[in-house]
Order: sequence, then structure tokens, then C-alpha cells
Amino acid sequence: MTRPSDLLGRLLACLGGALVVALMWGPQEGNFGDFWFAINQSIFRPRVLVFLALGVVVFLAMTFWPKVIPYLTRPGVWPLAAGTLTVIASQTLMHWADQLGDAKFGTVASAVADTNGISPVASAFFGGLCWAQLVVIILLVGTAVIGGLRNFGWAAAALSVVAAVIAYLAHAAVADKARYLGPDHSLGVYVCIIGYLVLLVAGLVTAMSHQQVANTRLAVNRALGWRPGLPLVVIGAVLGIIAMASSTWFSPANLNSTLADTRSRFRGTGLAPIAVQYLAWLGWALLAVSVVLSGVASYRRIRPLGWAGAAVGWLGVLLTVLTLYRISDLGADKGQDAATGPWQNLGAGGWMACAALFLIGSGGYIAAIAPRYAERTAETDSDAVASGRSASSAFLTAPGAARSGIMIAIAVALFYPPTANGFWQSVLVSEIGIYVLLAVGLNVVVGWAGLLDLGFIAFYAIGSYTTAYLVGSLPVKPPSWLQMSPLLAIPFAVLICLLAGLALGAPTLRLRGDYLAIVTLGFGEIIRIVAVNADQVTNGSQGPSTQVPHPVIDLGPVSITWGLNQLQYWYLLLVFVLVVLLAFRRLEDSRIGRSWAAIREDEVAAQATGINTFRVKLLAFAIGASTSGVAGVFFASQVGFFTPDNFVLNNSILVVAYVVFGGMGSLPGAIAGAALLTWMPEFLKDQVPAADRQMWIGAVVLAMMIFRPGGLLPARRRAVELAGLQPRSTRLEPVAVPAGEGM
Amino acid sequence: MTSTLNDSATSEHPITGGGDTVFDVRDVTLRFGGVTSLNNVSLQMYRGEILAVIGPNGAGKTSLFNSLTGVYTPQEGSIEVRARAGDSPTSVIGLKTHVVNRLGVARTFQNIRLFPALTALENVKVGIETRQKAGPISAMLGLPRQRREERESTEAAYQLLHRVGLERRANDIAGSLAYGEQRRLEIARALGTSPGVILLDEPAAGTNPVEKRELATLIQSINVDDGVSVLLIEHDMKLVMSIAHRIIVLNFGQKIAEGTPEQIQRNPEVVAAYLGTPADEVADLDLSQPELHRIDTGVSLDELVGQSSEAEHGATEHDGGTPR
Repeated sequence: MTRPSDLLGRLLACLGGALVVALMWGPQEGNFGDFWFAINQSIFRPRVLVFLALGVVVFLAMTFWPKVIPYLTRPGVWPLAAGTLTVIASQTLMHWADQLGDAKFGTVASAVADTNGISPVASAFFGGLCWAQLVVIILLVGTAVIGGLRNFGWAAAALSVVAAVIAYLAHAAVADKARYLGPDHSLGVYVCIIGYLVLLVAGLVTAMSHQQVANTRLAVNRALGWRPGLPLVVIGAVLGIIAMASSTWFSPANLNSTLADTRSRFRGTGLAPIAVQYLAWLGWALLAVSVVLSGVASYRRIRPLGWAGAAVGWLGVLLTVLTLYRISDLGADKGQDAATGPWQNLGAGGWMACAALFLIGSGGYIAAIAPRYAERTAETDSDAVASGRSASSAFLTAPGAARSGIMIAIAVALFYPPTANGFWQSVLVSEIGIYVLLAVGLNVVVGWAGLLDLGFIAFYAIGSYTTAYLVGSLPVKPPSWLQMSPLLAIPFAVLICLLAGLALGAPTLRLRGDYLAIVTLGFGEIIRIVAVNADQVTNGSQGPSTQVPHPVIDLGPVSITWGLNQLQYWYLLLVFVLVVLLAFRRLEDSRIGRSWAAIREDEVAAQATGINTFRVKLLAFAIGASTSGVAGVFFASQVGFFTPDNFVLNNSILVVAYVVFGGMGSLPGAIAGAALLTWMPEFLKDQVPAADRQMWIGAVVLAMMIFRPGGLLPARRRAVELAGLQPRSTRLEPVAVPAGEGM
Repeated sequence: MTSTLNDSATSEHPITGGGDTVFDVRDVTLRFGGVTSLNNVSLQMYRGEILAVIGPNGAGKTSLFNSLTGVYTPQEGSIEVRARAGDSPTSVIGLKTHVVNRLGVARTFQNIRLFPALTALENVKVGIETRQKAGPISAMLGLPRQRREERESTEAAYQLLHRVGLERRANDIAGSLAYGEQRRLEIARALGTSPGVILLDEPAAGTNPVEKRELATLIQSINVDDGVSVLLIEHDMKLVMSIAHRIIVLNFGQKIAEGTPEQIQRNPEVVAAYLGTPADEVADLDLSQPELHRIDTGVSLDELVGQSSEAEHGATEHDGGTPR
């Protein structure tokens, strides 16, 4: 065992580290001259205790790690950790009532404490109950895990539900108090509820451990695979009830009205009948009917009923959107406030209802296309775990589970953005969306074909400048017959980028590894420097001289003009991303995708098997480049003005980092990696000093590479490589000498 | 220096009398800096035969394979290939490896080179699909042609896996297969490219006696049933003697002998090469004797026990056997 003096040193180091982190976190409102202020801010505040406690936790973890490890594999531990972290994050980092301005949890708490007549639940919750209930649940689950006391698990599960309800009620009270301030964009309570649901899972898994479930992953898989589609129906039902019963649907003049309030507000105003009916009973009816249909279909495994549930649910989405359009349009006409057109002043309720109905319909759809029971048992969880196939990850292998995940992602992508505020909408479009598209494109080159491309952003630049040329925004004008709208420029930009990819790839793809990386890096810089210096063609460092116009679709009856708000661009981008994803998913499982995997794994063997490695690599380069061409068109027309500074080397490296962070060669990984790492700097903007943001992101990337080298969502093929089933190196540098006839 | 028992200049098959060569190698010299890996090597391989190349370590066997498949480019000499019957002779010198493969020359590797992270099925499909035509566009759009080819390659891959006895492991990661299974999977992948000639580089290395017998059957089946000519490097003399129609012996990059197994076994120069003693001193030694197997192959003791009794048997069996 370690000597006491060592332990003391370690403890002091941990506490010192915690102090440093405490100093770094937060607004740091001092400067070097006013050093004392910063220390005062960060240390002589109660929150330094949180950091010191974290230091103690790290110390304990380091000291007793060998004893802790056996417990980590027990059922329920990982959901416990995930749920705890989620709840803590929601209570310390997120907004609970956006109207109160900079309302982090702490501010809300003090605001509520000062308010007379607030509900006792809210004042208790914000006055400390929130932490107390979390601690009790952790203690219960912890005791259950360590002592094998399953009743404690049941208790923790029950308490989690209660805690989630209390959190919801407390938030509702605060939102109600602040309703005169405008629509509520806060997410804290929802994240908190998700955290408690994860803790519910932890409690249940612990309670049912020993005989029934071997570990958490298996338990989740089994629950998802038990009745394909049912989890989605349950989630949708809960979400739907919250949306219909209590959330804001409409808030003209900053009056937050629920579904029922909205109905009375529009009584006798000539609202379209369908919307009136929806507000009165149709909404509830759609929810109830679709829940019953999809629920029964998935529980009893009745396929036709599943199709019916899907039809009702998805039709319900359309009706909800129509209703939202009608009420916001009429509200704007009535001039109740500054609304200038439809889709304004809508609260989160309508969009939540959309998401709920979508999920319920998707549950029915999954039940309808789920494999029959006999087929299902052919691939049980234990088989999958036993065989080498699942060496990567047995997660989400249950039938319908992956589809459920995709459906939830689509629901979030479709219906979350309208409820976000303007800032996050623009972040979604100009950061997250674009970089997801770029990361998916680079994933082909880096992840699948295994070619390190550090100049990827150059193709993005080529796509942007091609668009600017074709719409006539550059000093060099296209011939009049060639001038076109940005959307029509897509095929041209794709073609030009494809040619650029071939032009770069043809001479350089004979190089391997580091050499290729250096050449592509140089290519990226050449393109940027040409853009800066070719004044006559590109207008130099100013960027395009006139604005790149927004896209327009004009087909007589249907006419859409982009540029009014960010959401339009978001949905356009979503279409691009979905098309690209569908195409790439097929590509991955085709002979082309397998050839890429083959040359990445063993180029010599691939050649000996008849693969023209040069041609296949070139193809990867061209496909990756054309994807970023699409992104370039989108970027150019969305921002209107751009400069060569948008295409600096740093951005190339960031895209590589997104792909690596998400999990090389994995499409969901590339999306998740890019989304998370582009979201994080925006999120950290009001959490840490601007200069420190990159450092925090670096820390996250480092932690990921140490603890999960395969990335966030590793690809199966890559995960096997990293797991080291094959100890010998698959990398082959040119072996010109017959070293022991090594071939 | 080259003591051939047949005149290598004639294109007469020594056994079948056919005149159809698969490989026609003339005076090939391959150097790496100062090291001469192959020195003036000439050989003919005839259609339909199993030709074994043997020799001590460092004799240049794998260099020969790499020269035949376009991995190495010999400085001197000519190599012409007519992998499939009716092809016109094509010079391999200067061709890229994948082009040589498309001419109908498939190979396996001495130290297994599978695609370890792909499943067994995918490994074989990679081989089959190099002969397919559907491009990236039809793959992305899921066009009918792409789907048909995908179906065909899956079916063909399952058949090949069945052929080598791996159909039950089709969906397992190649890297997780046992050593002998990986060797067979490599053969299946090579066969997937529908070759006219297959080059097997020590296919029996690291396999147990049972697997060796199965392998011998498999090689003969590939040779007879598929009509694929087999060029074999192997250290296991029992395997070589039992299945090879002809044997070529390399030593220090030179061909020192060529002939039927029984001729090779009695060739004093071959024995000398393996023992490292002058030819006249070992003239009366015979390679079929078990002690010599121990020396030249370094086989393990248990293999040797099984071999000592069977070696004689294998040789005599071949004496009486009539090659096709």
C-alpha cells in the first residue's frame, strides 16, 4: 500500500488542481492588474466547495481505483453515472427560465426565493430539494449496487419518477411567474427529466439484476428488443401528454397560452375549422388513437395495425403543423404584437406535439416492419455477445433499436430547431449543420479509405467560389447564359470539386501516410492563398464583391425564397444531409466500401486480390471533395458574403478532429462528433472566458482519445482494428528489400 | 550449375506431354542492392499441374512469387503468363500487381494477409467483387444492377466458404479466426478472383496434421475440379511429395533441380543443399528418410512421429499413382 505521506501529497495535489480549475472556470472578470478580483470571484464563493469536492472525488478514485473496478461492471453503475452527470449539468449549467435573462439555475433559485406567492414545490425545489433528491437517489442506487439490496433499486426507481415530476412542476411554476416576459426557451427542466429517467433505468436495472440481467448494456438491449417500437410509443406518449396538457402553444404579446388557452383566445376569430377542431379535441384524439394503435401493434406484433398507427401518427404531424401555421398566421394578421408573418410567437408545445406524434407513428412503423419472432430469435443478444462480430459493441443490436435511435434523431432534427432561440438557430445552420456535412464527406476519405487529408477545407472553398462565380458575385462574370440561382449551381460545384479532387489526387495518391497529409495540407493553403491574391478573379481578401443571393424555388404555385430566417436554411440543409447519408450508407456496404476497407487494412493484399488501389483511393478523394462542394454552395448562399479567412488551415484540422472524435469510418460517429464539437464552443461562450474555449475542447478531445480511442460511436470495422484482435501492424510502408521474404 | 532432369528449354510437359505453359520464366535475375535474390532462374509451369517450389530459407522462393505477381520487377529476364487456357502470352514484367491478378493469377501470402476487421464473408466478397462492374453511382442509388451483383457475390462467397469449410464462420471477424481457418479463408479469397493459376505460399505453415490432410485434399480439388494450376511453396515435404506433380528446388537464388518428386528425393545436389554438405558425400542419402525431414523442415516432434511412418507410404503411393 502507499505510504501516508504519499497519500497526503496526492490529496493536496488533487485539491490544488481543483482550485486551479475553479479559477479557470467562470467569467474571470478580473485582469492581471486586478488579480485579487478574479481570486475573489472564483474562490471566495461557495461554488469553490463544488470544485474541492470534485478534487476529493478524484483523490478517492485514484487511491481506491483497484477496489472500485469490480463494482463498475455491475449492472446499473453506468446509467447511475450518466444520469447523475446529466442532472448535475442541467442544474448547474442550463437555463431554467429563459425569460429571466441570464438565468442559470443559481439565478433562478435566488429569483424564486425572493418571489412571493410562488408554489411551495418550486421554492423547495430551487431551495435545495433538487440536490437532496439527487443525493438520496445516488445513495439508494449505490447501496443497492454495493450491497446487492434489490429493494433499494426499486425505491430509487420510484423516487426518480417523483423527482422528475417535482422538477417539472417547479419549472412550470417559474415559467408561469415569468410568462409576461415572452416564450420560454429554457431546456434545463427537460434535460433534468432525461437525467432522472436515466436514473430510473439505473434503479430498475439494479433492482432486476442477478438473475435477470447480466449487465446494463444487455438490459437496455433486451428492453429495446422486447417489443420493437414500443419504447418509441412510450416516449411519444409521455412527450405528447406534456405537450397537450401544459406546454406553451402560442404566446402573442408574451402571453404563454397552453392548448386550451389558445383555443379560448381564438374563439370567434374565424380560425380555420381544422385548427379549431384540433385545438378543441382533434389533437388529443390523434394522440390517443395513434398511441393505442401503435402500442397495441408493437405489443401484440400485429403488422397491419402498425401501419395504421404509423399513418395516424404521421398524419397527426401534418395536421399539427397545419394548425400551428393557421394560428400563428391569424395571430400575426390580428396584429396582437410585432409578428410579421406566420410561424412567429409559437411556443414549444406545438413542436413537442409534432415530435410526439412522429415518434408514436415511427413506433408503429417499426412494429410493422419488425422481423417475425422466429427470425428474431435467430439472433439473440447472448449469441451476438458470444460471437466475434460484436467485439466492437453489442449496443443497439436488438431488432428495431438502431431504427428507434435514428427516428429519435430525426424527430430532434425536425422539431427541436423551431423551439430554439435565434442564436442557437444560427449556430445550428452555420456551424453544426455545415460541419456535419463536411465531416460526413471527410469521413469517406479519412475514415473509410484511410487517407489523411489535411486540406479538405480547400474543396469547400472551391465549392463556395464556384457558386459565387456562377451567381455573378465575383469580379469575373460568367457568360449571361450561365448565370444561375445558387440551387442550380449545386451540380456545377459538385463537378468542379470532383475535378479538383481528381486533380489533387492523381499526382499525390501514390504517396502514403504522412507524406500525403503534408501534400494535402499544402494544397489547402495554396487554394486559400490564391483566393487572397487573385484580386482580379476572387476580389482578394474582401471576398465576393456583391452578395451571393439566397436560393429561390419558383415553380408557379410553389414558390420558396430562402433567407427570411435561419430555419428555412436548416431544413434545406437537413435535406442535403439526409440525401448524402442515404447515398453513403449504401456506398459503405457496397463493393466500393469494402474495397476502401480492404486497402485501409492491407494495401498489398488488396492489390494482390485485384483491387486497383490507386483508382479506389482516387474515388474516395473525389466523393469526399464533391460532398464538401455541396457544403460550399450552401455556405456561400447562406452567408452571402465570405472571405478567404473562412477557409484557413485550422478549419481543415477541425474537420479531421470531428471525424476522429466521432469515430473514424462511422457515419453516426461523424455526425455526432461534428455536432458535439461545434456545439461545444458556442455553449462554452457564456461559461468560460473566450480565450480558454479551445483549451476546454482540447481537454474533451484528449479525454476521449484516452478513454475511448475508437471515438464516440466507433464503426464496427474500426473498433475491431483498435481492439487489436490482430496484433501485427496492418500498416505497410514501402518494403523494397526482401527482409526475410516478408511477403 | 543447373542440373535439370528435363531439358527446361522444351515446352513439353514431362508427365502429361502437354505443351501449354502457364508461366514461362526465362533467365530471371532479381537484385536488391548487392543481394541477388534470384539468379538466372528459368522455369516452365504447365497448365493443370501442381508445381511445388522448395528450398531452404532464403533460397528465393517468395521472391520468385513476388516476381511472378508483379510485386517485384526483376532486372533481367522475361516472365510470360497465360493463366487461362486460350489467353495470349502476356509479359508480367512491369505490370502492377492488380493487373497481374486480373490476368488470372491469384496468390496467398506466407504470413497471412487477410483484411482482419472484415468478416470472413466480406473478405471473400472483396475478391469476387474485383471482377464486377457496378460503380459508385449505382451503389449510391441502389440500382438493380448493383443489387444483382451484390446478390451474386454473396452467393458465390458462401459457396467458396463452404468449399473451404468456413460457411459457419461467415459472419465472424476474420481476425478472430483460428490460424488454419485464416489460411483457408485466404485461399477462398484468392479463388474468388476466378484465377487460372493460384500461387500458394506455405499454405500448411502452422497447421496441425489433420488440417494438413484437409489442405492436401483442398489443393487437389482446386487443381482437378476447378482446373486451376497450382504453384506451391511448402516446407512440409510430406505434403509436397504427396500432391505435387513436379518440384523445382531453389537454393541461394538458383534453380538446382527440377523433376518429379521421386527424382527430387534421389537428387544428391538437393540433399546436399538441405544438409549443407558436398554432393558426392551424400549421394546415397535419400530425402524420403525421416531424419532428413527433421533437418530440413524443422517439424515438431509430434508431427515427426506421424510422419516417419507415412513418409515412405506417401512416396510409394506417388510412385504408383498416375498423374493426370
